[in-house]
Amino acid sequence: MRAPQAASSRFTSAPYVLVAPLALVLVVFFGIPLVLVVVVSFFDLDKFDIIPTFVLTNYSELLSSPLTYTLYAKTIKYALIVWAITLVIGFTVSYFLVFHVRSILWQMGLFLLCTVPFWTSNVIRMISWIPLLGRHGLLNQSLIALGLADHPLEFLLFSDFSVVIAYVHLFSLFMIVPIFNSMARIERAVIEAAVDGGASRFRVITDIVIPLSRTGIALGSIFVIALVMGDFFVVKVMSGGQSASVVAAMSNEIAILQYPPAAANAVCLLTIVTLMVAVIMRVVDVRRELSG
Amino acid sequence: MVTRSSNGRPWTFYALAAFFTLFVLFLYGPMSAIFILSFQGPNGGLTFPMNGVSLHWFGALFAQQRSGDFVGSFSRSIALAILVLAMTVVISIMAGLAFRYRFACATAVFYMAIASLIMPGLLLGLGVGLMFQFAGIRPAWFSSALGAQLTWTLPFGLLIMFAVFSRFNRVYEEAARDLGARQWQTLWHVVLPILLPGIIGVALFGFTLSYDEFPRTVIPIGSRNTLPLEIWAMTTDVTSPALYALGTLTTAVSFVVIAAALTSIALIQRRRARRQRGHPDARRGGAEALPRTAGVRVGADAGDA
Amino acid sequence: MAQAGEIELRHITKRFDQTLAVDDISLTIPHGSYCCLLGPSGCGKTTILRMIAGHEAPTSGDIRLGGESVVGLPPARRGTAMMFQNYALFPHLNVLDNVAFNLKMRGVRRAERHERAREMLAQVQLDRRFSERMPAQLSGGQQQRVALSRALITKPRVLLLDEPLSALDEFLRLQMRGELRRMQRELGITFVHVTHTQLEAIAVADLVVVMDQGRIEQAASAHEIYTLPASAYVARFMGGQNVLTGTVVTIDGGVATLVDGSGARFATPVKSPAPAVGQEIACCVRRDRVDIEKLRGPSPSPGEATNVAAGTVHAIEYQGSYVKVTIDVLESEQVVAHLADHAFLATPLDIGDAVLARWATEDVYLLTGDLTHPPTGVRPGPLQGRESRSRNL
Repeated sequence: MRAPQAASSRFTSAPYVLVAPLALVLVVFFGIPLVLVVVVSFFDLDKFDIIPTFVLTNYSELLSSPLTYTLYAKTIKYALIVWAITLVIGFTVSYFLVFHVRSILWQMGLFLLCTVPFWTSNVIRMISWIPLLGRHGLLNQSLIALGLADHPLEFLLFSDFSVVIAYVHLFSLFMIVPIFNSMARIERAVIEAAVDGGASRFRVITDIVIPLSRTGIALGSIFVIALVMGDFFVVKVMSGGQSASVVAAMSNEIAILQYPPAAANAVCLLTIVTLMVAVIMRVVDVRRELSG
Repeated sequence: MVTRSSNGRPWTFYALAAFFTLFVLFLYGPMSAIFILSFQGPNGGLTFPMNGVSLHWFGALFAQQRSGDFVGSFSRSIALAILVLAMTVVISIMAGLAFRYRFACATAVFYMAIASLIMPGLLLGLGVGLMFQFAGIRPAWFSSALGAQLTWTLPFGLLIMFAVFSRFNRVYEEAARDLGARQWQTLWHVVLPILLPGIIGVALFGFTLSYDEFPRTVIPIGSRNTLPLEIWAMTTDVTSPALYALGTLTTAVSFVVIAAALTSIALIQRRRARRQRGHPDARRGGAEALPRTAGVRVGADAGDA
Repeated sequence: MAQAGEIELRHITKRFDQTLAVDDISLTIPHGSYCCLLGPSGCGKTTILRMIAGHEAPTSGDIRLGGESVVGLPPARRGTAMMFQNYALFPHLNVLDNVAFNLKMRGVRRAERHERAREMLAQVQLDRRFSERMPAQLSGGQQQRVALSRALITKPRVLLLDEPLSALDEFLRLQMRGELRRMQRELGITFVHVTHTQLEAIAVADLVVVMDQGRIEQAASAHEIYTLPASAYVARFMGGQNVLTGTVVTIDGGVATLVDGSGARFATPVKSPAPAVGQEIACCVRRDRVDIEKLRGPSPSPGEATNVAAGTVHAIEYQGSYVKVTIDVLESEQVVAHLADHAFLATPLDIGDAVLARWATEDVYLLTGDLTHPPTGVRPGPLQGRESRSRNL
């Protein structure tokens, strides 16, 4: 974001006019709703009616319930597992595309192949696992036919396993895209210089590729963690109602119009997600590297 | 990779290629399963084996009593997606232009966009729903749902515009000014055409992110569903391959849109492509311009900036 | 009244934040002349060009074109046209539309503007069959012709060229620089050409402006710059000269004798006002006026002779028509001699040979510029690059 050379010296209203629509939409549909959620989290609840007042009961009930901690632990566990898996996938796939695919055309083609599902419906992609993993699904049928199992494996669907599978399926693209992008910017000459300097293939990865793709890794991590922490539908469908997450519990409260407790829950979740993102941003100055 | 001297590929290539192939199978396998199952015979079930092949379940979609308001939700989704696309393109371009200047609240707007992107969708929907409730306005797809979706598409649009502008060489603007173009002429005849592949990328994001949006839309949608919400409802009620037929149809629409966008980007790129056997110096002429990468890397740009 | 294409810079200063890019420059470029701004990168030459074009505003000072101040006017209303480095051809427009761009902005009808663009392309000798091509499909030389016709279609009184030849290979560079010169003669307008290549400037320009660190070192004809450099900096930067520095010990009959740090004595003709005895001065002698004598003995000593430097051969480079011999001189700057190839072959030298370099007093030229310039470390400047560059030539 360099300032235009001719315009930088004198004041101009142009950027304010140009950024106004974006700022307006964000303030109205993100800023105000966010404030409202915080405000409502202090409201009281009488059956299904919201009472505008200031109480801390929503928070005290939330924080005193052991179920809350179980839910948060479960959600964070999902987030960390999915983060680790998608990080490995994202790094490996990008590394393959950037450093092993020689033709630029093939590289772009294969990259697009990875990104196309990103532009299709998440709900559809999630439910597409059901006919595969179910009790009578394709995987169980094949295992039995091959004699690898004598009865259908129950853990495949409606379990933590299927939840994680679906998360990885939906969100690994968010890791691949930024990592690929920052890796693609690494100059080949840098790698060759490292090899000439006697670096092994492994040391090239740890000493050159990882540090130089840290922006992508950080961005991908932010996306994946925020997406898993904010999910409710994958965990609802893929666990078959046996597991839950923070937002899934919240959506149940919303469904029965329990807005203030849901809002208190939302504020807690937002705080945790913000902290996680802040930690990542602290490790890698994403903004500076983006605008450079 | 690293050892490029010989023609043979190192073993790591084959290991990584195998990994990549498995990953692609993992990505597309389940989708192809429901694609196949959507052609299930009339008596077929939700899983394999196929019990005949038919278009029965596609027909069932259009019989409203069976699977809800498919036609209505589909047309609403398309209308909403086009609205979101238009607004995302215009607002993102304007914001992208704005961020080329230094201005007072640039950092604040940037972080607000990022926060809006990572905010759990349902929470944002809850907030928008509360806002409309307090304001006494009935939520509807063209008001509350539209706003909620823009908080998702605009940050993406902004990030793509960052990437696009970071590759844009300002010398074209100077050249245009030198040749007598006014500011808006420069924008219209030079900047926007050169950035067109990136702008198509923004449009693609705007459309598909809206068309498939679910968590942000579910609360502020009001009484009439969009297609993803309809599918979501079906996952709990409908236990027939009609669900898969719907999935196949909506994915087909997505693919048509993606293909149209990518094809137009590719056509623009090819029109501007440098000749392979061109003079080596030709490469330097416009090399800093963006055409080479902007469009093809559209996907990459998402996370990039 | 100044003629239309006369450019006058009056006390132009340009700052970027804390950096002083152009430092109080005054210069008049006559109408219809070919002027080269020459200097190492970062010397401010491109900034001056951009200020004339209107892409940059001076921090202070006035720019006059044809006698009228243009500061604050948009580029298109100055009667200037710029040919950008790497040409900046619009990648989304074909050749014809690139050339016709200015006419399109002015609302000229399609048929007419294409017709005029074709005429313009013919004038720069670009084949008709290229007119539908995209810029990326052209070679560097063709791109340059398109850029030239795109600039000339605006009928400018001043054409500004920013490193116009740097994107071309050696062969095309020589060809195109001749064509630029020919175009300038034909059109009779002012050309201002920015370059960092000495030979390019000398080959085309009526007026060469040598710049360093935001200031003009010398503005004169190519011949004068080359043979009568104004300062040690110009002498070194242009190459072709050996710069001698020392303290004046005697002045006698229009000849000053100086002694350098190693005790060697040099003589130089002086004009009035003559330097005072005891003053530190610099003079130069052309490399092709230096003779070399091979010594038998191992330890060369110039003794009391003037205009002799003793040293050992450091490098010998064959340059085609002459041989460049570099000599290490004890406690002093290297001396470079350009020897005619037949003279060299008559008495061949080897690296490490002890030699005496000698020259005639009448070939020495007194440098008047600031001896201590450049002030090392005061302002950022590519000192390193400059020194190595001047040594190479």
